[in-house]
Amino acid sequence: MSTYTENIRAIAQRLLKSCQVELVIGFRKGTQPMMNEPCFVSTPDAVDQLVWDSNCGINLANYLTNRTEKIGIVAKGCDSRNIVTHILENKIKREQLVIIGVPCQGMIDKRRIAAETQGEILEVAESDEQIIVKTREGRQTFAKADVLQQNCSVCIHRNPVIYDELTADLVTEQSDVDPYADVRELETLNSEEKWNYFEELLAPCIRCYACRNACPLCYCPTCFVDESKPQWLGKSQDTMDVRTFHFLRAFHCAGRCTDCGACERACPVGINMRLLTKKLNKDCFALYGWEAGLSLDTRPALDIYQTNDPEDFIK
Amino acid sequence: MKVITIEKAQWSQGLTRLQTAYRLFGPVKDKTFHNFKELDSLAALDLSYSNTRLSAKSLLFPQSEDLLVYNLDPAAEDANIMKEAPKAYAPRAVIGIRPCDAKAVSLVKMNFDTDEYKDPYWLNLHQATTFVGLACDAPCSTCFCTTAGCGPYHEEGLDLLLADGGDHLLAKVISEKGQALLDSAGWRVADGPETSFDDLKRAAEEKIVSKIATESLAGAETMDLYQADFWEDVAFACINCGTCTFVCPTCWCFDIQDEIFGKKGKRLRNWDSCMFPIFTVHTTGHNPRGTKVMRVRQRFMHKLKYFVDKYNQGIMCVGCGRCVRQCPVNIDIRRVCELMNNLGSANACSVQG
Amino acid sequence: MQYMGIEGDRLHFSWISSAESTKFVRVVSEVCAKVKALGPNQHFVKKEAKVA
Repeated sequence: MSTYTENIRAIAQRLLKSCQVELVIGFRKGTQPMMNEPCFVSTPDAVDQLVWDSNCGINLANYLTNRTEKIGIVAKGCDSRNIVTHILENKIKREQLVIIGVPCQGMIDKRRIAAETQGEILEVAESDEQIIVKTREGRQTFAKADVLQQNCSVCIHRNPVIYDELTADLVTEQSDVDPYADVRELETLNSEEKWNYFEELLAPCIRCYACRNACPLCYCPTCFVDESKPQWLGKSQDTMDVRTFHFLRAFHCAGRCTDCGACERACPVGINMRLLTKKLNKDCFALYGWEAGLSLDTRPALDIYQTNDPEDFIK
Repeated sequence: MKVITIEKAQWSQGLTRLQTAYRLFGPVKDKTFHNFKELDSLAALDLSYSNTRLSAKSLLFPQSEDLLVYNLDPAAEDANIMKEAPKAYAPRAVIGIRPCDAKAVSLVKMNFDTDEYKDPYWLNLHQATTFVGLACDAPCSTCFCTTAGCGPYHEEGLDLLLADGGDHLLAKVISEKGQALLDSAGWRVADGPETSFDDLKRAAEEKIVSKIATESLAGAETMDLYQADFWEDVAFACINCGTCTFVCPTCWCFDIQDEIFGKKGKRLRNWDSCMFPIFTVHTTGHNPRGTKVMRVRQRFMHKLKYFVDKYNQGIMCVGCGRCVRQCPVNIDIRRVCELMNNLGSANACSVQG
Repeated sequence: MQYMGIEGDRLHFSWISSAESTKFVRVVSEVCAKVKALGPNQHFVKKEAKVA
């Protein structure tokens, strides 16, 4: 992974020195274990801040929306798919970007590691296969494969789908993974059980909108929750309003979500709201054979009408 | 302010007695973290926690709260009369609040209890509440309370402060409310040595590893800080969610909304956040803080400069570390404070020549 | 909708032209019967904001 960091810095420096880009968007080391901070570098001598490791789960495509500069952007698989979606949705132009592609080996799940660690985590180091956690009491080691973010463990698009530079050799895509196992399990419950499941899932929500704001897809100038005259949705902690926010946001991401997991990563109270977006991804795939952001040349499935679109639900 | 000892074996009996006189609230574990909840059963109280995920401010300042209600149904007895929403202000006690959160209550009180305005909802709850603090003997690596105006044994905002004395609890009575609670709990108490409390306090304070420097904030030129060149870099990662403001015990902004359903209506308030883009939108559509940089800058300027200047009581932060741990993009107030303080001291030096 | 807990029989889709009156009657009667069989909807109902 340290070669990733070196290569990102080298590429960034070259791009800045040659004025190919005005800024490079990447990550710098955070002040907390397992956290990195998205940052921008605009001078060649500042590139040493840039890092890459298994804590780069935030989706950097989120920082491209409506920018006007020439930008070098560090992008792992899911990020690159969101860049494709951004280009198709006119949120950024292809010509503005130099995409620094990162073949991703998966991000670790800091909540999972914290839950399985005794005591406060002071420092986390990683090797190719392992995560070493240091607490006041001692050390604990985890196999990286066991503590990946859930979306990374079932990811089949780890390589960037679009790039101008590559920071490492492409990795082999995972096969034999079932991204929708948990969705399928939920589908088997009856209505009452489903209702109660989501009631419990969304109970801790504090309407901070970290999930919405971390999502590259959520770029509406006025989000539906902020509409007034008329107000679409209450802003209070009423459970109906909270539920409606989540499911309506998921609907807005239908056919566009790349399951990058930034929403779950951002949530301060650990809600697994991907259970909603994944259901929609599963349906889009089943109905239209569609996965978001794989190619600049096809319009998204929910963007166009085809005569053979499924109609059997219309009686 | 005397110190007494309480035998640990008596603890739960005392709590049971307290339940008859007070509605009890305390830290309750919910899956992987703790939050303050009403204690329906005493078994739910979990004092073996470092701190709650969300602060204790929701005990006095619920995230969504009815303010006024009305009913237009002519058949209703109180038709066409707008009145304060009915509330229950029976005595309540918060068991196990940390000193940082308690000091934050005092800071928030400065806003809700002024000569000009008194917020009846917050003040009624505050008056009805007795705060029983639990001193911190194992602070986190992100706690910086000792340099943020309080500390692991700080007493401001508390009525009673408990500390772990090994086989017994040490309790310091700080106010009459605290004494009343002690009497109500009926614990068999003995006078305790003031010194052991002080020893524990010293030991805890030495465990704080995270520190901030704030000495140059008050003297800094406001416009120098405002126009500093580091704000673009500080603000870049920010996603303008409400996480920092919602977990923060000293943030108190709220938005008032009306909701109508049929013939009834209510006016309620919800927590609001200066991080949200529409926080400062005017009815004309103009937004004086329309960009992310302006909003991020404002948050830190408020906490570390405007509040300092206005009240002369230090920063509007108690060093609980929640924003540092929960920010999705790891923006760290301690780093921003350093940038601001350094600018303040650098410029001060040049002025003094 | 079903995934979130609304019973499937509460939401129906049908193409009916304004010239297909018999189909309209049939569909409306069917939908009414199915929904009535489920009883009043308890989910996704907000009467007033339930807050502190």
